[in-house]
Amino acid sequence: MQRRMKICLAASGGGHLSQMLKLSDSWQRYETFYITTAEMVREQLQRFGRVYVVGECNRRSLWRTVRVLLRCLKIIFLERPDVVISTGAAAGCISCFLGKLIGAKVIWVDSITNIERLSVSGRMVKFIADLFFVQWPELTAKYRGVQFAGTVV
Amino acid sequence: MIFLTVGTQFPFDRLVKAVDVAAGAGRICDEIYAQIGNSAYRPRNFEYIKFLEKRLFDDCVEKASRIISHAGIGTIAMAMDSNKPLLVMPRLKKYGEVVNDHQVAIAQRFEEMGYVFAVYDTDQFQQKIGEFLSFVSRPRGNNAEAVIDRITRFLNYVEISI
Repeated sequence: MQRRMKICLAASGGGHLSQMLKLSDSWQRYETFYITTAEMVREQLQRFGRVYVVGECNRRSLWRTVRVLLRCLKIIFLERPDVVISTGAAAGCISCFLGKLIGAKVIWVDSITNIERLSVSGRMVKFIADLFFVQWPELTAKYRGVQFAGTVV
Repeated sequence: MIFLTVGTQFPFDRLVKAVDVAAGAGRICDEIYAQIGNSAYRPRNFEYIKFLEKRLFDDCVEKASRIISHAGIGTIAMAMDSNKPLLVMPRLKKYGEVVNDHQVAIAQRFEEMGYVFAVYDTDQFQQKIGEFLSFVSRPRGNNAEAVIDRITRFLNYVEISI
């Protein structure tokens, strides 16, 4: 019997998450679970499946990053998603790399706030992403392997 | 009510003053309420507060008929989500209002798309404030549709290959 496809939706609380929710028509018919950063949004997300809150992190705080990395590691290895979709930021980036390790496809949507250059996370994920969207057409001339299809706001 | 908000990280005296001048000159007749953050300028023609906590901030957005702000993406997204006409004036590096001029690019892009009304300096603010009071922002279609379409096709493809 064919197994149902499982998708990991990874987005930090706030703007990243609101951009992810704007894409719900694409992923809502699949089994999904969420990796996010703020306890505040847990309730709002529960209708989409399991919600894992891993806490905030950024590249300036090594300890927090390690903590988030370990939490994501556990989640990704237990859940074993077929696809990871992320709109950023750091926790999304980590989830994409861990997903890739277990063979998942990676979809990245760089945030609309990045007008003249990609986010730091985006620049890293670009190397492993199977589908990479930017939200400003000019960025497609600047980076290889990124596509523009419209804005997500 | 017109809600003026300039973010809370850096002062933005130029905009707070421009709104005060416009109100004083009778170019804005509506009631105004402002969150001025760390701005040093103290408005004489309307009530203001330095910081609003999130819940009260949301209340102000809800009650406002129009919003005036810096060209921060957070405020723009919020105004778009709540369907409020928004005037933005970008912060500029040369006045020490921000670390780079990214807000100019943001203002231009969203202005081109018809989602915000933009002015780029205080003279322009005074000239165009009247026009803003009748500005209607372009209704938002689902902009995400093309992205959704591509992701959907990709997921279909992944689904049949697993």
